[in-house]
Amino acid sequence: MPYLTLITFFPLAGIFVLLAIPRGRGKAVKVAANVVTGLEFVATLLLLPGFDPGTAEMQFVERASWIKSAGIQYLLGIDGISLLLVLLTSLLTFLATLSSWKAVTHRLKEYYVFLLLLEVGMVGVFVSLDLILFYVFWEVMLVPMYFLIGVWGGERKLYAAIKFFLYTLFGSVMMLIGILVVHGHYGTFDWTAMTGAGTFLPAALQTWVFLAFFLGFAIKVPMFPFHTWLPDAHVEAPTAGSVILAGVLLKMGTYGFVRFSLPLFPQASRKFVPLMVVLALVAIIYGALVSLMQKDMKKLIAYSSVSHMGFVMLGLFALTPMAMKGAVLQMVNHGISTGALFLIVGVLYERRHTRLIADFGGLSSRMPVYAAVFLIMAMSSIGLPGLNGFIGEFMILMGVFPVNWVWTAVAGLGVILGAAYMLWLYQRAMFGPLNNPANAPLPDLSAREFLTFLPLIALAFWIGLFPKPFLAVIDKPVEKIIRVVRPETVPPALPQAPPAEVR
Amino acid sequence: MVMALAPEIVLLAAAGAAMLVHLGRKHGGGRAAGFVALAGVAAAGLALAVAPRPAGGLFAGSFLPDAFAVYFKAVILIGGFLAIALSFRYFRHEGPEPGEAYYLILLAAVGMLFAVSAGDLITAYVAFETFAIPSYILTGFCRRDRRSPEAAVKYFFLGTLSSGVMLLGMALVFGLSGETNFAAAARILGGANEPLALTGMILFFAGLFFKLSLVPFHMWAPDVYEGAPVPIAVFLSTAPKAATFALLIRVAAGLFGRFEPQWTSIFGVLALATMFWGNLAALLQDNIKRMMAYSSIAHAGYIAVGLAAWGEPARTAVMFYLFVYVFMNAGAFGLILLWTKGPGFGEEVADLRGLVRSSPLAAASLVVILLSLTGIPPTAGFMGKYFLFQAAVGRKLYGLALAGALNSAISLFYYFRVGRAAFLEEPPPGEGRPPGSSRRPSPAVVALLSLCALALLVLGILPHLIADWAAAAR
Repeated sequence: MPYLTLITFFPLAGIFVLLAIPRGRGKAVKVAANVVTGLEFVATLLLLPGFDPGTAEMQFVERASWIKSAGIQYLLGIDGISLLLVLLTSLLTFLATLSSWKAVTHRLKEYYVFLLLLEVGMVGVFVSLDLILFYVFWEVMLVPMYFLIGVWGGERKLYAAIKFFLYTLFGSVMMLIGILVVHGHYGTFDWTAMTGAGTFLPAALQTWVFLAFFLGFAIKVPMFPFHTWLPDAHVEAPTAGSVILAGVLLKMGTYGFVRFSLPLFPQASRKFVPLMVVLALVAIIYGALVSLMQKDMKKLIAYSSVSHMGFVMLGLFALTPMAMKGAVLQMVNHGISTGALFLIVGVLYERRHTRLIADFGGLSSRMPVYAAVFLIMAMSSIGLPGLNGFIGEFMILMGVFPVNWVWTAVAGLGVILGAAYMLWLYQRAMFGPLNNPANAPLPDLSAREFLTFLPLIALAFWIGLFPKPFLAVIDKPVEKIIRVVRPETVPPALPQAPPAEVR
Repeated sequence: MVMALAPEIVLLAAAGAAMLVHLGRKHGGGRAAGFVALAGVAAAGLALAVAPRPAGGLFAGSFLPDAFAVYFKAVILIGGFLAIALSFRYFRHEGPEPGEAYYLILLAAVGMLFAVSAGDLITAYVAFETFAIPSYILTGFCRRDRRSPEAAVKYFFLGTLSSGVMLLGMALVFGLSGETNFAAAARILGGANEPLALTGMILFFAGLFFKLSLVPFHMWAPDVYEGAPVPIAVFLSTAPKAATFALLIRVAAGLFGRFEPQWTSIFGVLALATMFWGNLAALLQDNIKRMMAYSSIAHAGYIAVGLAAWGEPARTAVMFYLFVYVFMNAGAFGLILLWTKGPGFGEEVADLRGLVRSSPLAAASLVVILLSLTGIPPTAGFMGKYFLFQAAVGRKLYGLALAGALNSAISLFYYFRVGRAAFLEEPPPGEGRPPGSSRRPSPAVVALLSLCALALLVLGILPHLIADWAAAAR
């Protein structure tokens, strides 16, 4: 059965259901959208029984000729890395849909249509193994996001929407040219054929193609000098949009590096390690410092993403198995914790229509459940042991240490700064006296709201306490990539065995 | 043998019939002529499908009804069909309906059909003028609007000048070779007479570049497209371009085949200038017609990338792009006809505000058309650009491919100003609109737009439907 096709295009079928609902039946639209994204999540979970974590090969592969004369195939497949990201996508899209129940009040049908279209694009990106097919999904996703920000966003939504669109399109067209050059060498767009070929682009060409792909992915991540679209887009987007932006869209950038840049251009990847690491470290420190300065909660969390994604990039380009596994796991962790934090801010914004930290204070006495959820997620974002963020960050730092202890030290500083801005935010918003009378009547989380957080909390603890099943699926794929990029596994300068795996 | 000329004869007969119908009726003759013209285009399409294609052509190789020509004739007929269909809407509101517009479109189309089949200098020149002269007249058809006759005069003067330059080039070719037939002349050109032959080529091309609005031969285009009635702008920005590119390909690859290194570099330079100039100038426009004029300049630049990367893949890419381009451009100009504003149609981007509310279908089609123009999947515009850039990369013209890609990103900015108006903005409440305005979208235009959008989506997902045809058409 073409199972990956099914999960990719199921939301598209949902769009037609939504379009068939007559005008004025807002509730029916909401119910239908939630059912579709819910079923989609269940459908992605059903991938698990058939998935074999013991291999690095692509699974559930579907191959069909698409545009024969151009050699473009319809080629889908997943390994452990894409599996985790597909699950993350379907879960976060479902939660984002659920969280929109009350938050979105106008142009409902369009809203959910765009949300579902976005899901098609996101899942498609993570499952496609033909470079052109990948590119198509990659671009398809821009349009619904543009409209989600532009129609349902905040005050500066028009500016933020077009900025997001232009930045990412600029990166992706550069990547398109890179794809064409890669095709010129291999004569195919088939990722499995390229990685199986055993040959690589000539070193000089690799450098340029790496840079072309780099622009596409780095803007998406976003890496340090390319991050300026992110605060605008995150802040202006509606809550669901921010959740998906932070939770999934940013991962598409790092996923691109893992899936394409590292295995296809290993020499160039090694050559660019210093640049990538420096940019990652700058992002870690800069993102954290800017977060410290923010007055707007959403902006604070947006900049914290810059810092966290810096960790992921550092982990990827340390080129050790431990760091890369940590980075992949951290992609999932960031989706969970930052997705949850945007939902948390969304809850307050829905009630008070402000996101300024100064407008709040002492909320923990009014909203104890909310305060607890917030605390768990803040801790997860900081990387408190026992929660998911710790495992990812720890593995990254541990994997980076044998390569260069200075990098670890700088990144460690980022962890401390991360604790500072997050705890300070929590303290200002939740503790202290309840000075602002407008906050006095705020109701605690409703059952629906609590339900949106429950899976994220559960996952945060699960990964924090027992990450083994998650690490098990990414083990083999990551090792395969490392074998290509850095066959000696650890740099010759420090020939000791990689540290024992964190369990 | 005459049967091979069936499409041209049918179209010419339809033009005559439309004229008789128009002149023979006191009232409503214009509309009736329009229907005759529309039927004529459809009949010509049918004739095109069944007409025999004798090898070696007709009249000693001066008329070549080969598969290559058939492909381009189909593109021209589609452009003509869409223009006539949009004319109904346009002239109903602008009235009184000038019947002569319809048969002038047909006459121009006949000229274009001959041009794509031209196998010698005389046929090429006569066909070229046959479609140029009706174009000048058609441009001036909006009598209410002073921009229209002004554009016509401008178009006429610059057009005749460029025809003259082209004729000089042809004269040089004939003088050097003593032949008018492309294939025969090609065998003699080059060698000792190379500098003069190159001069002839450049002069010949200059005339064609003018029609294609390649920078720096583009000066007329913004004024003409802005001044011409909307359906005429649709026609002028699509069909003549297809015809001229076909002629250019025949002349470049056939007549001047041995100068390929020279002309590919010429096209490379022109492509760069045209893409950047067109897109950057379009950024500044508020008038949709003028914006689309610069946009079609930019698109001519993308197509020129294919000519610079000449080869089998590039040939297919250029042909595919021109096919797709007709639907994109007709759709984008057609937007203007959705709503009326006073005695005319709202041409400003701001006039489209709130479209999604009055017609979600039209707004959705608009997004598909804009995506296609920008070159974003899953639309045909993306596939067109993909084929073009692929050809450029295949020829190691990385700079051109990058410039093309960069231009797609630039173009997003102005195309999505239109999308933004339609989707994200509302007209300010209580905004006074001139009398005669209607915000109810014309169902016929909506249907036509969604047809274009559907075609663009289908060809974006299944481009081989047309690309394989283009590849096989030689």
